[in-house]
Amino acid sequence: MDFTFTEEQEMFKKAAREFAEIKLTPWVAEMEATGKVCDAVVKALAEAEMMALTVPEEYGGLGLGYTARMIALEEISRISVATAMMLQVFALGIEPIVKFGNETQKHKYLPDLAAGKRLSTTAVTEPTGGSDPTGARTTYRKDGDHYIINGRKCFITNSHIADTLTILVKDEADPKAFSTFIIEKDMPGFKATHEENKIGMRGCNTGELSFEDLRVSKEQLLGPEGKGLRVAMAAIGDVGRGGMVGCALGLQVACLEASVKFANERILYGKPISQLQSIQNKLAEMKVDLDAGRLLAYRAVSLQDKGQNASNEFAVAKYFTTEATQKAAKMAVDIHGGYGCMVEYPVTRYLRDAFVLGPSAGTSDIMKVIIARWVLS
Amino acid sequence: MYHIVVCIKAVPDPKQADQIRIDPVSKTLKRSEVPLVLNPLDKHAMEAALHFKETSEAFVTAISMGPPEAGNIVKECLALGADQGILLSDRTFAGSDTYATALTLARGIEKIGRYDLILCGMASSDGGTEWVGPQIAAFLGIPVVTMVEELTETGPEIWKVKASIENGYRLMQVKLPAIFTVTRTLNSPRVLSFSGIIKARKKQILCWSASDLGAAEDTVGLLGSPTVVSTMTTRSSRRQVEIINGTSEEKAEILVQKLADAGLV
Amino acid sequence: MLIPADDRLMKVFRKRKDQKMTREGACNPIWVFAEQAEGQIQDVSLQLVGKARELARALNTTVEVILLGCGMKDQVQFLFAAGADRIYLGDAPVLKWYEPEIYTQMIVSLAEEKKPEIMLIGSTCTGRELAPMVAARLKTGLTAHCIDLLINETRILEQWIPAYGGLISIICPKNRPQMATVARGVFPRPTMDENRHGDVVMLDIPTNIPGRIQTLQVVRREPETVPLESAAIVVAGGVGAGNEEGWRQIAALARALHAALGCTRPVVDEGWAGHETMIGQSGKMVSPELYIGIGLSGELQHLIGVVSAKVMVAVNKDARSPVFEQVDYGIVEDCRTFVPLLIEKINVYRSRQAGA
Repeated sequence: MDFTFTEEQEMFKKAAREFAEIKLTPWVAEMEATGKVCDAVVKALAEAEMMALTVPEEYGGLGLGYTARMIALEEISRISVATAMMLQVFALGIEPIVKFGNETQKHKYLPDLAAGKRLSTTAVTEPTGGSDPTGARTTYRKDGDHYIINGRKCFITNSHIADTLTILVKDEADPKAFSTFIIEKDMPGFKATHEENKIGMRGCNTGELSFEDLRVSKEQLLGPEGKGLRVAMAAIGDVGRGGMVGCALGLQVACLEASVKFANERILYGKPISQLQSIQNKLAEMKVDLDAGRLLAYRAVSLQDKGQNASNEFAVAKYFTTEATQKAAKMAVDIHGGYGCMVEYPVTRYLRDAFVLGPSAGTSDIMKVIIARWVLS
Repeated sequence: MYHIVVCIKAVPDPKQADQIRIDPVSKTLKRSEVPLVLNPLDKHAMEAALHFKETSEAFVTAISMGPPEAGNIVKECLALGADQGILLSDRTFAGSDTYATALTLARGIEKIGRYDLILCGMASSDGGTEWVGPQIAAFLGIPVVTMVEELTETGPEIWKVKASIENGYRLMQVKLPAIFTVTRTLNSPRVLSFSGIIKARKKQILCWSASDLGAAEDTVGLLGSPTVVSTMTTRSSRRQVEIINGTSEEKAEILVQKLADAGLV
Repeated sequence: MLIPADDRLMKVFRKRKDQKMTREGACNPIWVFAEQAEGQIQDVSLQLVGKARELARALNTTVEVILLGCGMKDQVQFLFAAGADRIYLGDAPVLKWYEPEIYTQMIVSLAEEKKPEIMLIGSTCTGRELAPMVAARLKTGLTAHCIDLLINETRILEQWIPAYGGLISIICPKNRPQMATVARGVFPRPTMDENRHGDVVMLDIPTNIPGRIQTLQVVRREPETVPLESAAIVVAGGVGAGNEEGWRQIAALARALHAALGCTRPVVDEGWAGHETMIGQSGKMVSPELYIGIGLSGELQHLIGVVSAKVMVAVNKDARSPVFEQVDYGIVEDCRTFVPLLIEKINVYRSRQAGA
């Protein structure tokens, strides 16, 4: 077992770090202030080919695996969790098309998605719950060669910027049957309605979608009719959870780095507080959690790269890393003392960003349900 | 089609380099695990070569003399867009001063065969001598311009070069082949891209040892260096500091008063 | 220049060091390449002639100077007054500006013929291009940006430079001439003795120059501010400034004190200031009455550029910063908050003085 990156993976890490430090840092303050997606950031991501990572080469992507994706997300999140979240959800919208799209659909959408000319998302969650998709109320009925969709989705990341959305919809006639459709923003009947104002991950758009007699042709059906739950969950299970893990790891690195820097500079009792055991204890805990989280993350993506199902391993990694990040952020704030409450210090943002990691792509409680099921099976 | 050779160096990361220090007791160098990175000014040299490649036909070679780990930065240059990489590496190259370094690089460049333009950063962040570029030029018998701020091709193999001097600049006309050592102001280096890293998979890095260069042992490394380090020492401080105390306001006032008393304000 | 890494090399290194070069009596002359710009001999060259005089006394030899230019005949007296015994003069229109090929050729041919023991060249933009080419052609060693030169007990020139937080001396035990570059301000201007004279040897202008490089134009701007090397007050800023805004505050402080503004290398790397304002080993050497270092750590590479100063002050937020061991007054404050406060207090002081 080799627990080190290859030379090429080290270069991906370096490239992603340079990209994040040089191209994203200038926009963090604006994103924090407005809470809105920054066009310059989307443009920078596209130029750096970040949307192309998991798109196969024959459709204009880079055909890199999920390990490369995790590396990139970690580095981007270290500078801006909001940007990493936005990017990870782009991949979330791309994945069902890659896995279940027919050739026409793949050629129509993937090249533009890889180039960042189209932006995507996956919409599953509804007011009736996200963890329990079977309670969904957004439905479709067949009408000749078309389907008519009605309903609402909420807590959808990239709701207002995505123009290519994969949505999970229940068969009006049969509550056990679901289908997934690719819909485009300008289709009549589709509207991005309310936009949320989040306390964290500001710069990443979250909002509601409404479908009112949205008429889609059968060309937009993704995968087999009635078997859409599998299509949607395949994306969320691996790619969605994996994306959250990348966001969490990057934020943990940021928390640890900020804590070390502050602890080395802050002088109390004539020496830097990094010499105090209570501070060292916190740094040690952060380090252990970070290393453990990394191992869980890269175990999961290496299975995924081999083509195996890793949704259980991702549930473990998602639960562990998002919880650990919330702890790390709190510890980082504590280490900063009074300064940890001041807006100029990035750790306050880290704390707010960390909280939003929890419920995204499934709460920790849901993750534990999945893990228990795995253990008991 | 131009063949552009870019001389690059792997240096200790300048952001951490001050960890390498002379031990005040043993008076020897305390080694530290500072990672090697591409010399910052060499990035500008690389960018100049790649920029030229975008507008005209060119083949770009990145060449470096260094330990095996320097291979990583040669790989990085391939990922940035260089067509091939050459690493001159041999245990006997260790201890080289700039003369031996420049001579080894010159031999490596000669072995490549044809070259039209050689670019390098004006100085390295660790040695900082600024000697290697001009010395390679002397060994190859070609012209050099140092501290280049602007480069323009004005005719076939004729270049107009703007170089920085004290309080101004000089404009030089140069016939290739030639060496230019470049400054920060020349351009803005591109960052690594994922697709560049993928394309680098197919590019090759040649590794040449002393015998590949036909270099006799006494012409390389420490043996081939006319200069050698004689002594190391630490500098003792010569002043007794008085730390000014008080609130920030008080400190500022006290300082201004002290300076005024000395007739300096 | 690398420090040898393993035992085998260390043995060779020590063996070369121990080779005693005892030569009694006289040795070949010490040379200085005197740089001229627009017909004016540069200060650094006079400073080097003064130093060469001192080294020549230790080696029981003479000082010779190479001067290349056009219409420089009436300038040679300065070089004699500074301590030269002989001047090799190249005087022709083609030498008016520094022309790399012909300058290098003339110095190299003359050195091959006369075999000087030591050659010193000013560490100017020209010198830093010319010296390495000459050294390579003469197959000899060259040390960059020396902060001291002395003849040691084995009659070898010790060339001292700051490195790795300390000082190291470099020697060129076998090859000749021993060559070094030195920046303006490291050595003092020598006492000029108007009664000194020497002989002038006219140099032939070579005709076999390849002609692959020519100087089209040399443009100089008037410096906007007092040059660092002659400023009475120097404010030097480091990366403690934090960002461009912090840097602007430090520049404002320099203006408030009518001081010249200098910086450290990391500031140049950040892009807040140009290389020409960098104080230190490979930059400018200063000798002000007052030096104030703001947000810098006192790295030897930088402070070695402060050749002398009556009063030195440092402002740094880290009480453990090494800079505090090297100054007269230290203030432990974050410069981003302290500098504006200091500017305010200076203005208050001045207005009180004006009102009084």
